[in-house]
Amino acid sequence: MLQTLQISGTAALAPTLVLGVTALLLLLIDSIDPEESSSALLSGVATLGSLVALAAAGAILVATGGEPQSLFQGQLVVDGMSLFFTFIFTSVTTLVTLASYDYLKEFRYKAEFYTLVMLAATGMTLMASSNSMATAFVSLELASLPSYALVAFLKNNRGSVEAGLKYFLIGALSSAVFVYGISLVYGVTGSLQFDAIASELGNTGEGLVGVLGVGILMIIGGFAFKTASVPFHWWAPEAYEGAPAPVSAFLSSASKAAGFVIAFRVFTVAFPQSTVGVDWVLAFQVLALVTMTLGNFAAATQENVKRMMAYSSIGHAGYVLIALGALTGSANQAFVLGAGMIHLVVYGFMNTGAFLFIALAEYWGVGRTFEDYNGLAKQAPVACVAMTVFLFSLAGLPIGGGFLSKFFLIAAAVEAATIGTYVLAFALVINSALSLFYYSRVVKAMWIEDPVGDFEVGGYPTGLYAAIIVAAVATFLLLPALGLFTNVAVDAAASMIQ
Amino acid sequence: MAGAFDFAPAIALLPFGSFLVALFLGQYMPKRGALAGIIATVGSLLLSAWVALTVAGGETYNEPVYTFVAMGENPIQFGLLLDQLSALMLVIVSLIAVLVHVFSLGYMNDEGETGLPRYYGELGLFTASMLAFVMSSNLLMAFMFFELVGLCSYLLIGFWFRRDGPPSAAKKAFLVTRFGDYFFLIGVVAVFATFGTAQFAGEESFPHLAELALSGEGQVTTMFGLGAEAWFTVVGLLILGGVMGKSAQFPFHTWLPDAMEGPTPVSALIHAATMVAAGVYLVARIYGFYALLPTALAVIALVGGFTALFAATMGVVKREIKQVLAYSTISQYGYIMLALGGGGYVAGVFHLTTHAVFKALLFLGAGSVIIAMHHNENMWDMGGLKDKMPVTYYAFLSGSLALAGIVPFSGFWSKDEVLYETLVHGIGTDGGLGVVLLLAYAMGLIAVFFTGFYTFRMVLLTFHGKPRSDTARNPHGVHWNVKGPLAVLGVLAATVGAINLVPVHALVGSVPEFLHDWLYYGPEMLNGHHYHELITAGEFGGMSAGELPGLGETGTLFASAGISLTVALAGSALAIALYRGDSPVEHTDRLGSAKTVLFNNYYQDEYQVWLAQGLTMNVARAADKFDQGVVDGVVNGVSSVSLFGGSRVRRIQTGIVSNYATLLTLGLVALLVGIGLMGGWF
Repeated sequence: MLQTLQISGTAALAPTLVLGVTALLLLLIDSIDPEESSSALLSGVATLGSLVALAAAGAILVATGGEPQSLFQGQLVVDGMSLFFTFIFTSVTTLVTLASYDYLKEFRYKAEFYTLVMLAATGMTLMASSNSMATAFVSLELASLPSYALVAFLKNNRGSVEAGLKYFLIGALSSAVFVYGISLVYGVTGSLQFDAIASELGNTGEGLVGVLGVGILMIIGGFAFKTASVPFHWWAPEAYEGAPAPVSAFLSSASKAAGFVIAFRVFTVAFPQSTVGVDWVLAFQVLALVTMTLGNFAAATQENVKRMMAYSSIGHAGYVLIALGALTGSANQAFVLGAGMIHLVVYGFMNTGAFLFIALAEYWGVGRTFEDYNGLAKQAPVACVAMTVFLFSLAGLPIGGGFLSKFFLIAAAVEAATIGTYVLAFALVINSALSLFYYSRVVKAMWIEDPVGDFEVGGYPTGLYAAIIVAAVATFLLLPALGLFTNVAVDAAASMIQ
Repeated sequence: MAGAFDFAPAIALLPFGSFLVALFLGQYMPKRGALAGIIATVGSLLLSAWVALTVAGGETYNEPVYTFVAMGENPIQFGLLLDQLSALMLVIVSLIAVLVHVFSLGYMNDEGETGLPRYYGELGLFTASMLAFVMSSNLLMAFMFFELVGLCSYLLIGFWFRRDGPPSAAKKAFLVTRFGDYFFLIGVVAVFATFGTAQFAGEESFPHLAELALSGEGQVTTMFGLGAEAWFTVVGLLILGGVMGKSAQFPFHTWLPDAMEGPTPVSALIHAATMVAAGVYLVARIYGFYALLPTALAVIALVGGFTALFAATMGVVKREIKQVLAYSTISQYGYIMLALGGGGYVAGVFHLTTHAVFKALLFLGAGSVIIAMHHNENMWDMGGLKDKMPVTYYAFLSGSLALAGIVPFSGFWSKDEVLYETLVHGIGTDGGLGVVLLLAYAMGLIAVFFTGFYTFRMVLLTFHGKPRSDTARNPHGVHWNVKGPLAVLGVLAATVGAINLVPVHALVGSVPEFLHDWLYYGPEMLNGHHYHELITAGEFGGMSAGELPGLGETGTLFASAGISLTVALAGSALAIALYRGDSPVEHTDRLGSAKTVLFNNYYQDEYQVWLAQGLTMNVARAADKFDQGVVDGVVNGVSSVSLFGGSRVRRIQTGIVSNYATLLTLGLVALLVGIGLMGGWF
């Protein structure tokens, strides 16, 4: 085993810095010749940047063994948890920037697109490292603001612009709720830093539990917005549907994971269940149950594939919320959190892949409904195999990592052994069964139905195909190779919980 | 320093690599992937030999390689267990695999078959799965590779999928073995539920935990209110279901004769070293578990003895050379089961070893004959091939003498030990178990007669007399790639018995019993010595060795050998008397109505077809009714409720952002009020 190395502050933040610098570099390249910007160069730089960040995160994880590194007087912390999530963000970013090469060919302002993606990714990695309410809020905004612009990227498309505006308005409201919650918590505890909040919790006055509770619930609201959980999910179906499909992939995979990592850290470090006196576990149980049920029920009745995937993404947020809803005193807490982290890794690949397939369909000009996908497998068998892997893995069939990660979530919930967690485990099973219904509608359309008209796919775009196939292979390999991630995830969770 | 054990995973990974190479690149390679397979299996053979040498030096290995699901105290792992038994089996499997690959050059490539990359790919995967199965360190991993072995044999039996016979034979093999594996799967789950672990070896292994539980030192969870021993017997018999399916024991033997539809080298691999051997190997692997359970041992011995006799009688009337060999395989695996059930662990492994050699030889010999006969397998069209193909003849004769159990060929030594162990344990053990063992012994002994008969009937009809068809007069020549493996195996079939010359050792103490010593000094709780203690302990197996009245131990040994040799010679002599001469004729009519029964294989297929169609179909129909009416009704009800609920949810999503803001705020307020009331904030 490698020895644990001490890494200086700046080096520990290397993934974040690389992503930020890449964003600036992209702007620089664009400023040289804004009219004739080369799609290949921009996409290449962005992909390379995120790959370097990915490698850096891996290298730091191996070198430090996930040992926490406190930076800027504890405002940021780089530990196993933050590096694990940085791995997810950078993987998704790589896939998205690679796929956007083809998707954006016909558009102007390509450099702005990649820059915004990179800036959002920078914000997400900062969220993963945030160790105080202030940095959490700022980095959350850094991740959100570029997202609003990205959703509205198709300036001449009414749907895109409208979705961007709605996303922004709901986002503004949610941020207000979030920051108000922070102020209430600050009012009670007098500190913003997570560990300091935790140590102040014991000293809160008698009447202040209610104020603290309201603050905590409002903070939950802020995270619920980022993870697209009920009741802050309203923006998601519209934003995912209106946005360019690679952006939907980015938001529904990476942005959701970012919301979860900060929630994991806040609720295990700042508000440990044992001392806080506010039953946030119950709140998360309610949210998980409602979110997964609403997401799946709504997905089942959609006619439009992209919108179906949007609701399915809400449903998956509900599954991961189990990781917080099952953090009861009786649970094996590291395993519970680890199960959520593992589901997010697998989800990062399979969901990104599914949205990228939709991007491919949009690229070809295939329509948006289930019927429009009829007979697609005859023309693009490889991509359709990949899509089948994504969808069945999302449903939890043992063809990809989704099977095992859902199994871990169920096992974690059952192990916690309270009525609430049993209900969550049961709801996960029921909802997965329901989700199989609507996922297989797409598979059926692709493979079994006959094409409606005589439609020819227009070429086989390299970048999109590469990204889809990488995602499919990763999804598939995560079934046998998930063992590599379980230890890392559970260790990271354990070291954060202490 | 890196030793043999560090490279052990490569034993299975090499053929797996050849599977990938042959499948994807075979089209572009000379010999269509055969070379990749040969190189990989030779590599496996060398590594296996290295492992065996290391094990001979007194080291063993039992370590996890990869953790599949790291949960709780008993993670689900892939691990390697390399001890005396698995090292021996590795050498056998990889040796046969090499020879089968080489032989395939002659049988498949030279005959201009198509689809060769697929053939060599499947052969590589088959070998890899079997090797991984042999090295498995726990029951679940063993089960996974057991299933892969089954899958590969399905693919290979159905290799010529465009003809009528092979696909149906492949399906039959798959379904019948799957039926047995169904019980095995329940057995695996039962082992996990009972012991919390499925490890084969070590302090925390399930055979050891079972031993502790039966001697009152440990606690386990039993089900259905059964006592520990009764429940363990149930678990043991469930696992035995998979064994009987794979090793083609009555009544699951019906798939194996049909499996002759596959290419002949595949038959050699299936019968000698992989598919069929997997079953009995599993019993030997967890012998420490079975040795605790006299009832399970009695069932194993009885099934084995009965299968040995039953299959041998069917082999007597068959016309196709491969059919005779198929029934002889069933019969010989019956002997191995008989040995294991009769307390002869070493004898069982010994017969497994010798059988692997001579049965591979006989199948490859038959393959050579089939090439010569332009793929006509009917023995009544052959005759006189002795002079045309001397190498094949002498090799085949060596294998036949071994199969019939004629001294000094290998089969004699091992079959004799099987019968001897069963006999002495049958005499010495009191109560029902002793009677069962004696009964099983009697059946095994009678089967020796039939074995001698069908073996020499086959040899005489194929090679002796005058050619009875044009193809037999002008047979197709075979190349070195056919003769080479035959020569190697022919020598081995004659000599491999030398690894365990029990009667000679009894007479001259200086002649060693290699195999006996090899298996007796394994790792703790995994060696023949420990098994012997368990078998003979009153609270476990409860057997003891007796002797024939008035003969003493050595006398019994020689009497047993003498009886079985006499019976074998008698059977052989009858065959020679009936079928010698230039133009032998069919004598089956003398059997009267028994002939029809034997030709129809005791109507085993018929009743199984009836089971499948008459009974299962009706049950399935009833289940379908239930499914359509009740289950679908509930499911449809649920789905219409969810679709209705879903459309409601859809309607709330109005698209108007101020509605969203309102609902968002209301949702947050509802949450605040709910949690607040429960937490008593107000």
